[in-house]
Amino acid sequence: MAATLAQFRLIPRLETWPRCVSFAQTAPGRLTLLAAFALGLRFFLPDMPSVLSLTFLLAIMTFLPEYRRFILAIAPIALVVIQTIHDPLVLGLTLGVIAFGILLYWCALRWPQSLFGQRPVTFLLTGFTLLILLACAATPRSWPYSILWSLVGVMASYLWFIGYALMDRTSQPARDLTLELASFRPLWGSTTTPFPKGAAYLRRIEAQNPEQLAIVQLKGLKLLVWGILLSLFQTFWMYFFHAHLRIPTSAQALALSVRGTPAAWHLRWASQILFFFEVTLSFAVIGARFISFCRMAGFNALRNSYRPLSSRTIAEFFNRFYYYFKELLVDFFFYPTFLRYWKGHKRLRMTCATFVAVAFGNSFYHLARDWQFFQKDGFWKGLASYQVLFFYNVIMATGLSISQLRKRGPRPKGLVRGHLLPVSGVLFFYCVLGVFGDEERLYPLAVHLKYLASLFFIHL
Amino acid sequence: MKGKADIHEYVQSLLTNSGDDGPLADSDSLLLSGRLQSMDAVEIVMFLEENFGIDFAQIGFDKDQIDSVDAIYALTQTAARTN
Repeated sequence: MAATLAQFRLIPRLETWPRCVSFAQTAPGRLTLLAAFALGLRFFLPDMPSVLSLTFLLAIMTFLPEYRRFILAIAPIALVVIQTIHDPLVLGLTLGVIAFGILLYWCALRWPQSLFGQRPVTFLLTGFTLLILLACAATPRSWPYSILWSLVGVMASYLWFIGYALMDRTSQPARDLTLELASFRPLWGSTTTPFPKGAAYLRRIEAQNPEQLAIVQLKGLKLLVWGILLSLFQTFWMYFFHAHLRIPTSAQALALSVRGTPAAWHLRWASQILFFFEVTLSFAVIGARFISFCRMAGFNALRNSYRPLSSRTIAEFFNRFYYYFKELLVDFFFYPTFLRYWKGHKRLRMTCATFVAVAFGNSFYHLARDWQFFQKDGFWKGLASYQVLFFYNVIMATGLSISQLRKRGPRPKGLVRGHLLPVSGVLFFYCVLGVFGDEERLYPLAVHLKYLASLFFIHL
Repeated sequence: MKGKADIHEYVQSLLTNSGDDGPLADSDSLLLSGRLQSMDAVEIVMFLEENFGIDFAQIGFDKDQIDSVDAIYALTQTAARTN
């Protein structure tokens, strides 16, 4: 019975059915897949012309896969031109940043032994920091101010994409640059975190023959359906808990406490628990949307969220909840530190690399992403507004370090010791950590700490 | 010096600890397929440093190098020739 339940799947594994895979390789099968995907895409996209144009591009990539890379390289640039044609400054800066990214990549390839060639990502991130400092120093309402902050905005949205291109410079084969260009602004969409990583990863997971393409497209369609189901569930969830049961959101509960009219204790806990599930659900939906399209385009990328609620350790949850962000931190910060420093001290080495990735890397990522705080408040006040985030990251890094250092061995058996206890511990950690997960940055750290204490009947 | 069988056994133990009891062929993808995670890659790196003297800070690190038992074995052979 338990085995049958474990085997149950809401969406059947179509990609393992030989007849289905064979059909998906025929012209009628491909058209059916594309039509079904277009219908699903309509759920996420607001207008029909976008759905039709994206489906048209997918159709070309499906029937003429030899043009896949070319389309993926050119279409996003064409989209940028169409979207920013009314704003020549942004258009010019965007094209300039793309050209700058390609130039950096070329320089790193051309002079691999130079200081820049050995540490191109360090140069990129340092350069971006200097750009923010320069923009903060510019006189408000002057033309350098406008240009510099526009450049910061454009650069911030391309930062990690260019970073991946620079990081991938040593991967083979790197002669064909179309995928580098394609990965600067993926056609399938992305947050500031590249989905799914850079061009080197795309090369490794690209479908090489009609059968692989059929399998990966079937997986893409399945993931899109899963994303739609999750999104519908999310809508129901928000309505049921926040509109019907009137449980405040975590931001509302915090605001009520600040105003001196706190919600009841059980409602504060409920809002905190709901917040955790809502964030998890959001990343699962957005990841399913991007990766399903990526798969339809012929790339067998891993899912962004994979059973996060079954995680038995803090580190496992971090890996399963927002995979591509975790990969970004690991690739840009963890590995470079881990491979170079403290080699003779295993535990120190692991802890140091984790702190660099999660405490520093995660903070830097958010500083770069939310650069508007620097524009609004100036450099030092802007930096101070991140205090809650810095605290969040230090606690997270501590939790992850402990989780990784605990001796790994065979998993405990049984429902309670093997599943319920470890999973509950992980969910509790992230629920409590969520108290510091507010991205509005409205209140100082002391307010969040006071709120956390109130959840445990400690009134400061 | 350890051989391919030792590498296979080590990777199999990592999979088992991750709750993956499936069969492992030497050519099977480990990281790209999602069977092993980044932290497992770290374990493999330390295994290779300790047992084969490979210094990834010197040769550069690419997950492709450790994506299968075959790839790991090839890496150790290259390292042995270089040393």
